[in-house]
Amino acid sequence: MREEIIKQIEGYETIRRDIEALKKYGYDYRIDRGEAMQAVERLHPSTLCLRVVDIIEETPSAKTLRLAPINATLPPFMAGQYISLIVEIRNVRTTRAYSISSPPHCTGYYDVTVRRVSEGFVSSYLLDEVNIGDEILTSGPAGNFYYNPVIHGKELVFIAGGSGITPFMGMIREIAQRGIDRTVHLFYGNRNDDDIIFHDELLEIARKNARIRYYPVVEHPSKSWNGLEGYITREMLLEKLKTIDGKAFFLCGPQGLYDFIEPQLAQLNIPRKKIRREMYGQPSDVTRQSGWPADVAASREFEMRVEGKGVFTAKAGESLLASLERAGIVLPSLCRSGECSMCRAKLLSGKVYQLPVALVRKSDAIFGYIHTCAAYPLSDVALECD
Amino acid sequence: MADFDVVVIGAGNAGLMGALTCAKKGAKVLLLERHNIPGGCATSFCRGRFEFEISLHQLSGMGSAERPGPLRSVLNSTGVLDRLEFIEMKDLYRVTYPGKLDIALPTEKNAVVAKLQETFPKEKDAIAKFFDFVYAFFAEVIGAFYLADPDISPQKYPLYFKYALVDTQTILDEYFKDPLLKLALSVYWTYMGVPPRHLPFSDMAALLFSYIEFKPYHLKGGSQMLSNALLESFRSAGGKVRFNCPAERIIIQNGAVVAVKTALGEEISTRCVLSNASAITTFVELLHENDVPAHMYEQMRARTVGTSFFTIYLGMDCEPGRLGINETTNFISTTEDADADYAQSKRLSCEKSSFLLSCYNVADSSFSPPGTSQAALVTMKYAEPWLRLSPSQYYDEKFRCAEQLLRRAEKVFPGITSSIEEMDIATPLTHMRYLGHPGGGAYGFDQYAKDSTLFVPPTPPIEGLYCAGSWYGSAGYQPTLTSGASAARAILKKLR
Ligand SMILES: Cc1cc2nc3c(=O)[nH]c(=O)nc-3n(C[C@H](O)[C@H](O)[C@H](O)COP(=O)(O)OP(=O)(O)OC[C@H]3O[C@@H](n4cnc5c(N)ncnc54)[C@H](O)[C@@H]3O)c2cc1C
Ligand SMILES: Cc1cc2nc3c(=O)[nH]c(=O)nc-3n(C[C@H](O)[C@H](O)[C@H](O)COP(=O)(O)OP(=O)(O)OC[C@H]3O[C@@H](n4cnc5c(N)ncnc54)[C@H](O)[C@@H]3O)c2cc1C
Ligand code: FES
Repeated sequence: MREEIIKQIEGYETIRRDIEALKKYGYDYRIDRGEAMQAVERLHPSTLCLRVVDIIEETPSAKTLRLAPINATLPPFMAGQYISLIVEIRNVRTTRAYSISSPPHCTGYYDVTVRRVSEGFVSSYLLDEVNIGDEILTSGPAGNFYYNPVIHGKELVFIAGGSGITPFMGMIREIAQRGIDRTVHLFYGNRNDDDIIFHDELLEIARKNARIRYYPVVEHPSKSWNGLEGYITREMLLEKLKTIDGKAFFLCGPQGLYDFIEPQLAQLNIPRKKIRREMYGQPSDVTRQSGWPADVAASREFEMRVEGKGVFTAKAGESLLASLERAGIVLPSLCRSGECSMCRAKLLSGKVYQLPVALVRKSDAIFGYIHTCAAYPLSDVALECD
Repeated sequence: MADFDVVVIGAGNAGLMGALTCAKKGAKVLLLERHNIPGGCATSFCRGRFEFEISLHQLSGMGSAERPGPLRSVLNSTGVLDRLEFIEMKDLYRVTYPGKLDIALPTEKNAVVAKLQETFPKEKDAIAKFFDFVYAFFAEVIGAFYLADPDISPQKYPLYFKYALVDTQTILDEYFKDPLLKLALSVYWTYMGVPPRHLPFSDMAALLFSYIEFKPYHLKGGSQMLSNALLESFRSAGGKVRFNCPAERIIIQNGAVVAVKTALGEEISTRCVLSNASAITTFVELLHENDVPAHMYEQMRARTVGTSFFTIYLGMDCEPGRLGINETTNFISTTEDADADYAQSKRLSCEKSSFLLSCYNVADSSFSPPGTSQAALVTMKYAEPWLRLSPSQYYDEKFRCAEQLLRRAEKVFPGITSSIEEMDIATPLTHMRYLGHPGGGAYGFDQYAKDSTLFVPPTPPIEGLYCAGSWYGSAGYQPTLTSGASAARAILKKLR
């Protein structure tokens, strides 16, 4: 609209005068250059550069790496969340998620506790090749496995298997050390009793705090073991808990733990909303997943064409994300469990097996996007990673 | 030869629409986005078995296939319509002010009038007159403003020239006495971000007119479906997109755009940039001060960063009817005084904040898995108090505010809290993080009468630079999608 027309609208002059005054006395946004993103970075930094300030031997197969910031402060997190370690090992740049095992009120460092996975690529590297003083790049804290005071109540049941104890350790240390009014029943399954991470500390915490009840369960106990044996079962839960009413259940551990315990919980009629389960990363053998076509062996090799980058080889039994990383193509990744969508890419042609646990948006599925960390090739494939 | 004809910064509604419109006409377009998905506000995220809609509550200006509204026409021109399924809502909204008012308005004009007259019999005539006025006035707004009648004059458009800059409260006070009636009629002010005392009546009339005439809509698969559909068409038209790739600088030579530098350090040459990033990002971060005419900063000084939101996304393990949620759009008020309500948006605490609860399952039972429902509970909140928190207080405050809102939601929808299976919370800082906008301003600058495009020209005075989205006009799906398309038309004209 032309100026001489606008001028005829009632009230025009008053507003014009207001604007002129505000131009003089209003806020000069140039003063805040860079500040908006700095405020965000304080809470959610894209990456953190941390130094290994201590390495604690926990058990024969597990160590805690204590990571402190180099010249910044650490962003806050909620007990139970993880960070993703960004590593380069023999020319392959990759990431792995590790739950923070220290509590949020220890603001000077993050502890991550790593258990050896046989022939594990990153776990072996972290356990065998990382030394005190080394620098490690990580993501900021992430993940949705945490206590929500609005809905979870004050009676919590934690069920952990092996290295799945780590997120619970952050939660338990927070409750115990800060004297928070919340009761925890921890059922912690392990294969052998010489390999229970944090066993002594947990016994000590339970001895000092009536709020924390600790039930270690060992599958193949040694002669000296005098605790619970076998698997964590429905009967065991009922016996120790008396009632399940009003309790929220938190699960973290390897696939085997979920496969066993979930049907047990179902038999107890625990409603779905009372059960939270942490992601577990990639399955050790994807060909055993339901829906995997019988005629495709894990070792089968396919051609993986990446738009604008070239043609590479991808094994059926390995996630496309890992194959991309082997090929030197770095896609952002965080959870490596199919949940966070960071590693999303477009499948231009070919067929993949997407893990059923992957949380792919409805519209992404319709328009051909996959989460590469949870997708395995079943034919030659073409991808666009933009 | 430049690398691209056009570089679009930001894949929000306006960026996507602008990029697609240019690419369809044969321009070589690159779309840069910081985040890893397209859409900006128009996105979703997954938790457990739920996919949460981030921003869309009621799509305005759609209309039906037989009687298309302006938004349907804009989308139609891009060819995305056949990939999308729109669902008409059967209610305008329900307003609840516990103990004082509880009214649900249908979407037909006569039915709205009848419902209001039944609830407020003393002001029966005023209600009818008010709606006649809204329609008569808005007909003039369409002719004078939207269709830009070249023959415009105060004689031809008397209502427009008299009321275009008058605030909503003045009109409400002129027509009505009962503050509850004024409340029932004006809750849509929260869709604009400023209370009736400051909201131009032309904006309020636009909302009422547009939602009643063209009905409020929702979209199957949520707004992410729209964003993905726009991106897909853009790709098919030859467009290139790069995610996780923020623009860092717009490079100017001799007063004209020559390139864009990305945060990854590449320099991409181009003669045209369409920025969907915030105005503050564009002029303070992306452009060098010396390249910007001084009056741009002066103009920005006269403006204030608009509101952001505090939102609780809820996935519930029962159908909405079980909780008494029978309308898609529910405004829960704590006061009939909109100014007092607005003042709450500048505080951290949600103790007294009015809020909106949207539940699409009412209109579309397939919106979440069978036997479940999902809802977004949202209240206006400026970022300022959130920015003053120390990082260690952040999570505690998030939960405290959520608790305050849910406690009141519980009074209207008993059982809601105990049916929650998945829940996530977004604060103004969350919006800042995902959109990159200062103040998490999902509505851009505050929209007072002085902020209308009558006073602030949308095109910046730098050759080759174009801007579109909520920071350069009105916020909302319909306005931002439209602004993307019109910026693209200007770009295409220059390229020709
Ligand atoms: C949320 C979350 C929290 C976790 N917390 C913990 C924790 O606290 N403590 C803990 O111990 N673990 C934790 N884990 C598991 C951890 O992330 C790793 O999966 C685990 O340490 C095994 O990794 P790895 O590389 O050693 O094993 P691998 O089995 O070697 O790695 C997994 C995949 O990497 C690929 N790969 C193997 N070799 C190569 C190569 N040369 N180049 C490229 N790719 C290769 C393969 O596809 C393989 O399937 C957590 C996982 C998640 C999802
Ligand atoms: C909670 C909430 C509820 C809402 N409800 C409704 C509703 O019911 N109805 C309605 O019509 N509207 C609603 N809106 C408003 C509507 O969603 C927005 O006004 C609209 O989506 C804004 O679109 P936009 O084009 O301005 O871009 P935005 O969505 O603001 O996106 C801007 C994009 O630019 C990107 N970007 C920024 N800086 C850079 C950079 N340097 N380089 C690259 N990329 C960059 C960002 O990442 C983002 O993707 C709501 C908004 C919110 C937050
Ligand atoms: S890295 Fe999270 S979904 Fe793949």
